[in-house]
Amino acid sequence: MSRLVGASMDAVSAGTPDSRDVVSAQLARIVGAANLETRPSALVPYRTDATFGFSGEPLAVVRPADTREVAEVLRWAAARRVPVVPRGAGTSLAAGAVPIHGGIVLALTRMNSILSIDPVDLTAVVQPGVSTQALARAANEQGLHYPPDPGSQRVSTLGGNVATNAGGLHGLKYGNTAGYVLGVQAVLADGEVIRAGGRLLKDVAGYDLVRLLTGSEGTLAVLTELTLALRPAPQASATGLAYFEDLEAAGDAVRGVIAAGILPATLEFLDARCIRAVEDYAHLGLDLSAGAMLLFGDDGSPAEVERTLAITAEVMRERGAASVHKATAAAESEALLAARRCALPALSRLGGATMLEDVGVPRSRLPELVRRIEEIAKHHRVVIATFGHAGDGNAHPTGCFDPKDEGQRERVAAAFADVFGAAIELGGTITGEHGVGAAKHPFLVAQLGAAQMALQVRIKQAFDPAGILNPGKLGS
Amino acid sequence: MTAQGIFDPAALGTCISCGFCLPTCPTYQLTGDEAAWPRGRIALMRAIDDGEVDVFDAAAREQGSFCLGCRACEPVCPAGVPYGKLIEQLRVAQWTGRRRPWRIIPLMWFAGSRRLIRMVGRIRRHARTTAASPEHSGDMLMLGCFERALFPAVSRAAVATVPGLTVPRDQGCCGALHAHNGDLARGEELARRLAERPGRIVSTAGGCAAHLAAVVGREKVVDYSEALIERASLPGPILIDGRPARIGLQDSCHLRNGMGVTAAPRTVLAALGDYVEVPGAGECCGAAGTYAILRPTESRQVLAEKITTLTALDLDFLVVVNPGCQRQLISAVRRAHLRTRVVHLAELVAMAENGTVRP
Repeated sequence: MSRLVGASMDAVSAGTPDSRDVVSAQLARIVGAANLETRPSALVPYRTDATFGFSGEPLAVVRPADTREVAEVLRWAAARRVPVVPRGAGTSLAAGAVPIHGGIVLALTRMNSILSIDPVDLTAVVQPGVSTQALARAANEQGLHYPPDPGSQRVSTLGGNVATNAGGLHGLKYGNTAGYVLGVQAVLADGEVIRAGGRLLKDVAGYDLVRLLTGSEGTLAVLTELTLALRPAPQASATGLAYFEDLEAAGDAVRGVIAAGILPATLEFLDARCIRAVEDYAHLGLDLSAGAMLLFGDDGSPAEVERTLAITAEVMRERGAASVHKATAAAESEALLAARRCALPALSRLGGATMLEDVGVPRSRLPELVRRIEEIAKHHRVVIATFGHAGDGNAHPTGCFDPKDEGQRERVAAAFADVFGAAIELGGTITGEHGVGAAKHPFLVAQLGAAQMALQVRIKQAFDPAGILNPGKLGS
Repeated sequence: MTAQGIFDPAALGTCISCGFCLPTCPTYQLTGDEAAWPRGRIALMRAIDDGEVDVFDAAAREQGSFCLGCRACEPVCPAGVPYGKLIEQLRVAQWTGRRRPWRIIPLMWFAGSRRLIRMVGRIRRHARTTAASPEHSGDMLMLGCFERALFPAVSRAAVATVPGLTVPRDQGCCGALHAHNGDLARGEELARRLAERPGRIVSTAGGCAAHLAAVVGREKVVDYSEALIERASLPGPILIDGRPARIGLQDSCHLRNGMGVTAAPRTVLAALGDYVEVPGAGECCGAAGTYAILRPTESRQVLAEKITTLTALDLDFLVVVNPGCQRQLISAVRRAHLRTRVVHLAELVAMAENGTVRP
């Protein structure tokens, strides 16, 4: 399929000025000249996303204003077999938004209206370019709560969140984005517009396309409107932190908390390197001598929150926490969570580039995964700092390396291949919440097996026979 | 010109493209274009550095001048990218010789001439060292070049309210204007010369302070608000018709993002009246040094939302801590026919001490 795409690209040919002019004129008729860019130098920012080492050469970036324009762009692209890569804020950590086969980058950031928030149906209808935080705030103003909060929530768009089924810091109690997607409007690869689901809590008519399109990474359709579920805002929330000798001890404490019948909203871990990097940026007074840190928190009624935090703290002490603190003020609580969200970029302070992964295992096996990661790092002589969602069994081992050192880079890549292997062996996944993208695509078949991979390809072909939607990802 | 050597490689290498800077960037808010925010501009700088894009390429030149240089992206950057330095370095390459925007050439020439700024300052009656200063602190008050010409009352108010400041008569420009407009070498030279004198430099201009601090060290530079809190007891509230004045603040971007000063001016204002936090106080007003002169259209677009906010707030005073913001907001408030008075922090403190407030 990718060969077909490559050939069609030559037909439109990004190279010759003539064809570029023709492309420009045609696309400009759809979105307006102001919302189209074809100059190679101005396209440089759209070649990459937040993933290290992946880039593509887009032919153009278009910024449509509405569903109709998206449909017209897709009709145009389908007729010419030009790839179309939907893009929100470009914060993918799996090269999901990188136009690796060129084509048109469809930037959906102009479609950034919150269309409605309904306090009775507990739903929000939004355009895909709304930022996660913008919805969370708007919901909050009406006493409502949109729980998914990926690390990049201030930046990331809801369209991207749904397309990758993004997780967040509150996944343990609230789950990933998928749990909140009730309906979508989507433009298919040939420009047809469909609606699936809606403001319904129960709806079993037809195959569950809402669930299928969630996490489809822009390979099946372009999401142009989302109906999302909200919850009543919790009355109270609180956060605490505990220090441990190492990650294994922290993992053991997590098991203890869950075994005690407690399900905190947040249960996050950072290893010693992450603690140092975060402290270096945020100056929170974290204990730099600790081997690992657990950040825990809950929300709900004040009594409930107090009980969860008290029991969690007690279990942590029992399981050998060196010290346990509770954030007394809301601002302190928020600062701790914000600092945790910055763990990845802050790690770049340790030595230039970062390559991060997103493996997940059943919660009970997280300590084992963490131990395996440490062994793998040692074996390949690379620095891997690990943080993640302890309660979800989702770890973000992050390779820190000098980008100019080819050998180091290759060793990090080799180490991650082993980490994927370890995760799969432990009954886990190569990606918990970031998506497969182009970065993990070569490893997908190892997890799914040949038969399922073939089915994934057939699903892709059913939606997008010409293979123009975000080629090189998932079913390709 | 060869591409290599324009940018500090360590600074350029620090960005890991996480995108956390996006929501703070005013030019991204205006356009929604990824080329028009720090991560996109850094991608472009890297392409220039690789020799792939010419530094004088039209899109590269556009981004070099479109950026406000407000540095709002810096405090939110977990990786610690010194973006302000990178944009200065880009402008050094792009605004050399004849390519320097003609509108700012006379300004740089004016600020670069010690004799000229002294003369203008004297005509406009900026502050002088008072012979009666009982305890001399060793700190000098820096006279901003444009502040001397446009707002000489600010330095007079600063000297009147912070005891023990000296005002050297022969001081030159701090070089911020040069550094921000493509002459980093001259900008650094001027800053070093100003800092030769022993003691600290007290500044009433956020733009100057941040530049000085970047060249000669943060410990050498003090903002007026910090000096005031250190040295003087704050005056009581300003009353208007028997009620405390409603006062808001517009942060100076460089004071906030470059110097990290946000609390001190607010502490002072809380004593002076009924302090109201202006939503978006930390976001650029569009003055951005010479930006208002070079890109008046965009400057006003950035300003527009602020005016809507200020109209709704109906303040008695909007306080500024940088002459560029003062000029921008005075004319904006006038255009919008608001009753709000735009004054520098030092001027308001002086008013409170003298009791000379007229509503």
